Amino acid sequence: MTKLAARLEDSAHAVSNAAAEQSDPALIRIAGLEKRFATRSGEVVRALSNVNLDVRENEFISVVGPSGCGKTTLLRILAGLEKASAGTVHSGGELITEPRPDAGVVFQQALLLPWDTVLTNVMLPAHLKKDKSAATIKRAEHLLAFMGLKDFAQKYPFELSGGMQQRVSICRALMREPKILLMDEPFGALDAMTREAMNMELMRVWSEERKTVIFITHSIPEAVLLGDRVVVMSPRPGRISEIVDVNLGRPRNLQTMGTARFGELCDHIRSIFGAESPMVPSL
Amino acid sequence: MNLLTKTFNSHRLQSIVLAVVVIATWEGACRVFAISSLVLPTPSAVAVKLVSLFVTGIIWSHLWATLIEIVAGFVFGVIAGLVIGAMISLIPVLERLVYPYLVALQTLPKVAIAPLFIIWFGYGLTSKIVITALVCFFPVLVAVIAGFHSTDVDQLDMMKAFGATKWQTLIRLRVPSALVLIFAGLEIAAVLAVIGAIVGEFVGAQVGLGYLVVTLNFGLDVPGVFAVLIVLSAIGLAMHGIMRIAARRYVFWIRRNEAPVLS
Repeated sequence: MTKLAARLEDSAHAVSNAAAEQSDPALIRIAGLEKRFATRSGEVVRALSNVNLDVRENEFISVVGPSGCGKTTLLRILAGLEKASAGTVHSGGELITEPRPDAGVVFQQALLLPWDTVLTNVMLPAHLKKDKSAATIKRAEHLLAFMGLKDFAQKYPFELSGGMQQRVSICRALMREPKILLMDEPFGALDAMTREAMNMELMRVWSEERKTVIFITHSIPEAVLLGDRVVVMSPRPGRISEIVDVNLGRPRNLQTMGTARFGELCDHIRSIFGAESPMVPSL
Repeated sequence: MNLLTKTFNSHRLQSIVLAVVVIATWEGACRVFAISSLVLPTPSAVAVKLVSLFVTGIIWSHLWATLIEIVAGFVFGVIAGLVIGAMISLIPVLERLVYPYLVALQTLPKVAIAPLFIIWFGYGLTSKIVITALVCFFPVLVAVIAGFHSTDVDQLDMMKAFGATKWQTLIRLRVPSALVLIFAGLEIAAVLAVIGAIVGEFVGAQVGLGYLVVTLNFGLDVPGVFAVLIVLSAIGLAMHGIMRIAARRYVFWIRRNEAPVLS
């Protein structure tokens, strides 16, 4: 009797799971992902080990972890810049093996082309597709205006502050209206004040142009402030320790960081690191 | 008063003051110790000779010949350096095959092979142009190869992530990145061009500033030798200056760090 009930429950569970997938299919599906590197001395390092993650459309996923946990490797595989040693990444049902036009990438450094103006830099992804139409230029100008860079379109990157350069790089990533925005510690090189301002800016962008975002960071508060879910990763080998649901309402702002719930979430994530390694990662 | 101290503090004025002091000391020492003009001529004697070289018109044919050698040699050397450098950078097999021989060629002292060029290309301008081109070639070649290798790895990833083809990456990223070092190479080549032309003329020529130096030296006209040396260094400075201006115009995004290295 009880066996049957359990089986019934199991199948009911499976049905509801399938239903959930039907109504809310994963845009990105990472399954059994593994990445091994050979070091100079011939040693094999496992940068990623058995990483599984489903990302829904328009979801904001923060990935947090100490250096060496493979979070940048994960993003590089998602961006198609690196090949997986084992496992698969599907995006919109297609296997990712190379860079795709539906993903925009923001790197840790702004990586603007110093010989091009701000506008030309933002236009780069369109130029690479030989698209120089008036509508495209309009789109670039609109993005710059949206990011508060209207008056800087004809300036060169070296005339801009670090925060402004990173804003230009976000405009560039958004240029071809990607479905997915991949961000690799985009604000890591900025000072704390600029960083908070950029976090607010990013949330504004995200509420305006709904995207699926994978946001890599080593700052726990930043991960919690921005993410719908926080993927907590641990090093040696790089793996997912826990996926934390951030049940904080939106819109969020800097005051959100003062709430008790926010503090609890940060403490919880910190405790995951504490439980796994004696070294507490610095924020 | 404030303006006066500001003017005095300007580096240009300081270097002029230094030059005046050195020349005055030189002039004074020559007169006080009655040094023979065969050993060290006074600056005034050099100046007089310099003016007379131009006024009598003796220098013009020599100046033109040398300028043609320098400019033509520089242009050919730079073109060869750019083309071969680009080929070596873009075709990896060539780097392995050809580069060792080019290095070997560079290690040959140009002065030692100059007589061969005189035999092959004659006493005219051609042999000097070839020598000058050869002298200019190597720094440009090295600069081009180093320039193409200097592309930032992260920038390459960025281009790849946005779906750039190899050709687009070359045009939009690799070439502009390489320009920075290429202009540094051009600056060196511009100064070496003067040396190349003079070396060629020393070995065998019938006209040119190098030939003029040898002739004046033979006639024990030491003030004349000094005067021609001044003209030569003026040419070198002008070549270098033109390259600096070009670099500032074409690789404007590089801002030289003017602060002392050990500060």
